[in-house]
Amino acid sequence: MSKPTVASLHQALRKSFKSLENNQKVWKSALVECSPLMESLGNLAEQSRALSNVQISNTPLRDFPDLEDRLRFKLLQATDTVLGKLNEKMSSLQSARDAISNQVCAVLQLYEQNTDSLDVLTVTERSATTPSIADMLEWLQDAERHYRQQFLRRKTLLQMLRADNLSLLESAPKRWKTLESPSAEDCITDTIYKVSFFMESQ
Amino acid sequence: MKSLRQLSVDPSDRGSQRCRLGPGLMSELGLSLGSPLLVSVPGGSCLCTAWPRPDLAEGFLQMDLKCSSPSLISHPPTHLHLDPGQLKPVPCPKLKGVKITVVVQSVDFKKHTPPRLVHELVKDMLKGVHVHETYVINLEDFDTDIRYVVIESINPDSASTGIITSKTGVEIAGIQTVRHYRSQLQDQHTVSLGGLEEVSASLREMLQLPLLYPGTLSSLGVSCPRGVLLVGPPGVGKTLLVHRVVGEVGASLVVVRGPEVVGSRPGESEEKLRAVFERARSAAEEGPCVLFLDELDTLCPKRTGSSAPENRLVAQLLTLMDGIDQSDRFLIVGATNRPDSLDSALRRPGRFDREVIIGAPTLQQRKAILSVLCARMPVCPSVDMAELAQRTTGYVGADLSALCREAAMHAVREISKGSGEQVVRMKHFQDALKLVRPSCLRSSLGRTELSPVSWEQIGGLEEVKLKLRQSIEWPMRYPEAFVRLGLSQPRGVLLYGPPGCAKTTLVRAAASSSRCTFLSVSGADLYSPYVGDSEKALAQLFRQARACAPCILFLDEIDSLIGSRSNSQMPNGVHTRLLSVLLNEMDGVGLKTLERRGTEKILQAEGVEENHTQEQLDHQEVCNKDVMVVAATNRPDCIDSALLRPGRLDHIIYVPPPDQQARLAVLKVCTKSMPVDADVCLEELATKTELYSGADLESLCKEAALMALQEENMEASVIKHTYFLQSLRKMSPSLTAQQIHTYQTPLR
Repeated sequence: MSKPTVASLHQALRKSFKSLENNQKVWKSALVECSPLMESLGNLAEQSRALSNVQISNTPLRDFPDLEDRLRFKLLQATDTVLGKLNEKMSSLQSARDAISNQVCAVLQLYEQNTDSLDVLTVTERSATTPSIADMLEWLQDAERHYRQQFLRRKTLLQMLRADNLSLLESAPKRWKTLESPSAEDCITDTIYKVSFFMESQ
Repeated sequence: MKSLRQLSVDPSDRGSQRCRLGPGLMSELGLSLGSPLLVSVPGGSCLCTAWPRPDLAEGFLQMDLKCSSPSLISHPPTHLHLDPGQLKPVPCPKLKGVKITVVVQSVDFKKHTPPRLVHELVKDMLKGVHVHETYVINLEDFDTDIRYVVIESINPDSASTGIITSKTGVEIAGIQTVRHYRSQLQDQHTVSLGGLEEVSASLREMLQLPLLYPGTLSSLGVSCPRGVLLVGPPGVGKTLLVHRVVGEVGASLVVVRGPEVVGSRPGESEEKLRAVFERARSAAEEGPCVLFLDELDTLCPKRTGSSAPENRLVAQLLTLMDGIDQSDRFLIVGATNRPDSLDSALRRPGRFDREVIIGAPTLQQRKAILSVLCARMPVCPSVDMAELAQRTTGYVGADLSALCREAAMHAVREISKGSGEQVVRMKHFQDALKLVRPSCLRSSLGRTELSPVSWEQIGGLEEVKLKLRQSIEWPMRYPEAFVRLGLSQPRGVLLYGPPGCAKTTLVRAAASSSRCTFLSVSGADLYSPYVGDSEKALAQLFRQARACAPCILFLDEIDSLIGSRSNSQMPNGVHTRLLSVLLNEMDGVGLKTLERRGTEKILQAEGVEENHTQEQLDHQEVCNKDVMVVAATNRPDCIDSALLRPGRLDHIIYVPPPDQQARLAVLKVCTKSMPVDADVCLEELATKTELYSGADLESLCKEAALMALQEENMEASVIKHTYFLQSLRKMSPSLTAQQIHTYQTPLR
């Protein structure tokens, strides 16, 4: 039983939960900013679809030279801009994820370095105010896995978009929405509540 | 230590690679949080990280199968009871590099996704995962198109397990689709197949040759064959063969069953067929592929004049088969048991290039099949496969497997009664043989259930019996002696003689003693109001008999059945046409190609004495290929002379009316079951019954017994001599001296 090791591990855990809490906020705000961008991406796709459905030569607009090509160029340019902005948001999501990952890795590493002095009994010991070390590590790992999964799914969705496949582009906002998993997000919020006494007990 | 009960994994643990254990067990095994742990379960093992249960309870185990051996992907273990000894801590060093195969959901993803992106995604997904060489990482929890990652090799290769960190180099060796990968997995446990080595070798060659030596074929300027048609009676293992070969080669299999393709709307069937070919084409891009059209005759019947919907389907198949270009490397295999009802346009080179005929199994093949079937059964060592193979003439693979199943069921029933050990004995096989009949003979005309008759049950006629045994029983039972002396098996035997002299009973005795298939036909089976139907039925009968060779085909009352050309009123009657069929079948030019059976074996004449029984089997196979025709008549003069020449009915045996000695023997046999009085003198009866046939003598005995009942009411216990004499007075012989004289004049 080595008190100092437990204390230092507790300290590291507090730090990680703090960082998790902060990064959760960053993640949420970044996601909120993404959704209007996705909407406009879907809009642009719809416009492109409309453009390819219409025969401009049959409308009064036929007098404008190269109208279709110009419009298409405009739309593509707009799509590019939106995607560029989305990319920026993705990088802020990525930085949030990386921050969480690094923190969790660091705590796990600290635990692994001290496994000799921490037997299973110690790490599973829990009290009314302090969850056990095993539980807290588990929660951190779960949170980290959640953000990794979320980020990868969203990244795959964006990376799979192609200009020549309009239906993919059109359905993108809807699919983006279905990727949200409020329950998992709530779980993380719950976790932070669960450790609130522990956080204040230092 | 207590055994662990396996529970299903907690939803929140999905994808975490955790293995939840009780903390007590963890400290016993010396595990800390997140230590890698190899759990062996029946059929495979999986690599997990140890973690205590949230409720800290002991005796339970929940594991997430993120990294498991390939066999567990399709059959995940559930509700197991594990021994703690099956959990083994393993060291997991950080890996420098890892070589993987990525398994993705759809062909689209594989085609359109740049490799750089796949690499990036996979690397992100694999971070922090403990991996084991040759194991599969399940990535389904990420909900992307990337489903699995197969670990091909790891670096450093000193250990078989390791953990992937952000610094681990990931090299992608290939990308496959889930369907291809799963079909490959399934192939690893296929059933074995007996007796079809030659056919499977030729099929395998066709599949592998273009894949192994694509350059050679193109430099020769030939196109490789793309279609094989498997032809054979039902149950010989056509479908199984394809599955087996596909499994061996590691090709993917696209199966089309006839009714699946046919749709109700016009054009729907064709569309489905095109979709199937498209599927095969995309599967062929990933490796060898076989498109298997089972029951092709239902899919492609002969096109008729009218615009039937099948015509369009046939036309679609023809164009699709022609449309395969050289770059589509897939093989089309069709299977049918009615090749004649296929559209002839299908059976030309370029479509089905090669036709492989699988006949009913020969003796050797049956033996091979039986030993394969019995390999996994606890069979008593005293069961002789060779003998069993001899007794199962006409059985195809499916029949033999039914036979083994039935024998095993008999054994199970016996075991459930609580007697004996758990083995299948010869007795069980014998019981099963009574239940399972060969499917070759099902719905056959001449299939007869005959009650066995032994030679002893026929009184007298010793000379005829000997002759009959010479020509029927000997060639079937001692073929090696015939081969040694250069004798060939007789094709046919004609028994003639006055009516009632046991001709039919003699044949029955011969059939029961020679242990071969016995078919018997009468006029009622053959005649039909339609022109040509009778001939067809007779030809069909011969075909079936050949499929079940060695076989005795018994034509009773052949004079009424066939007749003669010389003294017939109608030159083109049914009789004449039946006769021509019979003449052809008995000594025709050759067999139809469809009736080919087994492989041509060359007889090892002398020398190799290493395996005597093997040689004996060889002999039997050489000699017993034919059908023996046995005919019986009491009007030999009415038989066409062409039938009587050597090569057709070679042996012509006269069954004489019984002489005094024979009559005595017949009377003895007839009165064996009767309580005759002590004063009955059978010798006296025998002398008094001149010109009586065997049937007459039997009736005489019956008559005497009835008379005894009549005179002494129902209490009669013995038959007195007087009753025999009384009944003798009432009866008159059915034969006349003149009749016998006509029989005794030589036939040819």
